[in-house]
Amino acid sequence: MRSRFQPGRSRAASAIALVLAFAPAARAAGDDAKPLQQQLDTTRHELSNTQAELKSTRSELADLKRVVEGLKAPPEPAEPIVLRAPAGATARIPPVNADNPAVSFVVDTALATSTHSSWGSIGYPDGWDFTLKNAELFISAPIDPFLRGYASINGTSDEGFDVEEAALVTTSLPWGLAVKGGRFFADVGRLPHWHDEALPFVDRPASIDRLIGGESGSEGVEVSWLLPVDLYVALTGGLYDAVGAENLEALNENGFFGRRSFDELNVMGKLHAYFDLTDTLNIEGGGSWVGIPRSQERNLWAADLTLRHQPGTQSAYQGFDLGAEWMWNSQRFTERDATGAVIGRMRRHREGGYAYIEAFFARRYSLGTRFDFSESVDGPVDRARTWSAFVTWKPSEFQRVRFQFDDTWGRQKTNQRFTVQWTAFIGSHSHGFAQR
Amino acid sequence: MASLSARSRSCRVLVLAAALLTSGLAASPASAVLRVVAATPDVADMARQIGGDRVSVVTIAAPTQDPHKVPVRPSFATKLHRADALVVQGLGLEHAFIPALIEAARNGDILPGARGYIDASLYVTPLEVPSSQNRSQGELHPLGNPHFNLDPVQGKLMARAIAEGLERVDPAGATTYREGLARFTDLLDRKISEWARLAEPLRGVKVVSYHQDLIYLARRYGLVLVGTIEVKPGIQATPGHLEELLDVMRRENVKLIIREVSYDPGLAQSLAERTGARVVPLAVMAGGLGAEGYVASLQANLEALVAAVRQSASP
Repeated sequence: MRSRFQPGRSRAASAIALVLAFAPAARAAGDDAKPLQQQLDTTRHELSNTQAELKSTRSELADLKRVVEGLKAPPEPAEPIVLRAPAGATARIPPVNADNPAVSFVVDTALATSTHSSWGSIGYPDGWDFTLKNAELFISAPIDPFLRGYASINGTSDEGFDVEEAALVTTSLPWGLAVKGGRFFADVGRLPHWHDEALPFVDRPASIDRLIGGESGSEGVEVSWLLPVDLYVALTGGLYDAVGAENLEALNENGFFGRRSFDELNVMGKLHAYFDLTDTLNIEGGGSWVGIPRSQERNLWAADLTLRHQPGTQSAYQGFDLGAEWMWNSQRFTERDATGAVIGRMRRHREGGYAYIEAFFARRYSLGTRFDFSESVDGPVDRARTWSAFVTWKPSEFQRVRFQFDDTWGRQKTNQRFTVQWTAFIGSHSHGFAQR
Repeated sequence: MASLSARSRSCRVLVLAAALLTSGLAASPASAVLRVVAATPDVADMARQIGGDRVSVVTIAAPTQDPHKVPVRPSFATKLHRADALVVQGLGLEHAFIPALIEAARNGDILPGARGYIDASLYVTPLEVPSSQNRSQGELHPLGNPHFNLDPVQGKLMARAIAEGLERVDPAGATTYREGLARFTDLLDRKISEWARLAEPLRGVKVVSYHQDLIYLARRYGLVLVGTIEVKPGIQATPGHLEELLDVMRRENVKLIIREVSYDPGLAQSLAERTGARVVPLAVMAGGLGAEGYVASLQANLEALVAAVRQSASP
């Protein structure tokens, strides 16, 4: 680029020097001034050309500079300079909500009616019943670059308010490790650790309620390891006061609050694996064990399997979930006579599980059916079988209406129940990967 | 004693198994290639174009999926766990699957704000940024409309953010990424001029789309957006809304219904039959119409739109 204008410029300079050097002689020469005048004109012309060329080159350089600047990061917007604090200001006060976490509130309400009177240990309400199934305040946020925290505070018609979960989870441990501590749903099975409003049905399957003791509520610590292999395989180990919301509640009501020997704590182990069968069809399964190793007071095994078809499109048919879970519980219970006196200890082996399929259609409809088999964890076996059908409609991502029919039968009695559930999510609500 | 011996043998077997597993893992060849997981086919193609042989790219969303409904598949959590970088289109487009996958991946290097989290929307000036965060207006994206990839000029800005992100993660490859960006930008520059001429027939054409995702495309080529089949973003059509939309289409003489390929053709077809409009499929993510790659996909979109406009104009 430089070579384009340098020769011209040097020629002009030489010419000017020449003119200056010979100027006095030219004046003296009188008539000989003509050639010099011509030379001066030529030089002026060349100088003019050189100036034009220089201007053009400068313009080209400016264009190129703009292109180069365009490839760099945009300049930071200029900050306004405040020379004087606003009148009356005494301090810089940050907004009070600057560090607020994500907050959501779930309203989960239902109307249910049964055709027969209350059915043994499954406990369906008799007659018509408006219920606040769940009012959940959910809060979550990163705490620092290494930790996040969340809490779920729930209220229901039956049980009042309760802190269902309040836990801390690491986010940046090496080697695929994550640690969770506090009060939370232990990672047992699949649906036992789902929140009520996230379930695909109106209710938690009776087999989970009876064998686990409600959702898998616990207080303790969990460590999980994502294996460094191509397949998704995760191992989880946990140590808890108890597993099962009802068991935990009973423990705390009895004044436990952490006072028991280490050998009496519940231990959990789980293996969870996932496979893509095709781009849209996948299967995942898990095996869990919860027990008290030394005393063998309780051993609970759970196996779950889920097959999903997930095209991820908005077409008329949008896939299905086929899920099944089976649980075996072996537990020692205190036997009492009619007067309430302890007469011994008895081990009960009980089992149960469910299977369901739910198909998804355009415009946010889904249809499903479920079968559940359960035994009472204590006392008489009290077997119950429930067949359910459910239809769900989501007018939007944050509102859901569900209708469910349940037919339950045991040795002697049957019960039909109709439930309409209406659920809405206010705010940023997500229980994350585990309840996807 | 026998029991002790058996226990000792078991321990030895366990230790051996652990050693084998560890050695097996350690023996897996350490790759010099940058492992990149891309949320969408568009940013995946850009990362490949820019990084060349220096990057190995895995894509999460499939071209014909709805980007707001991509399933959370744990198999991607393992890929993210070992990824050096995650490239997202950004502005909340991937809200349905990226947050949950990041949570499961346990990789601090790709958390939002970390070195390996590459946001392609960094230099894009968003359109349709909601003035209030209110869900009565539908499922709005708080940061603005995230479908800017349909405008090739925004594509240049996406590529720049990706190239800078790759360089941030892998400074040794700076020359590769800068050269890759220059090549890709040159190609887009040529195509932008070519497409401006190709898209001339689109100027002033009134269209209805399924979802509110065409603002950047419309602004680039002069399409006039008359309405959407959805009531509001993410809110499915109601009979009342469809009747209103039919009135508007007749009044405005709308001849083109754009159906994003992930949406069911039924409603669009039914509207077309009642108004005489033509339905044209459009890929909102690269490859949705079968043309592989970002540039080819934009070309396919434009050709389909122009062909439909010409067919509508012909008697």
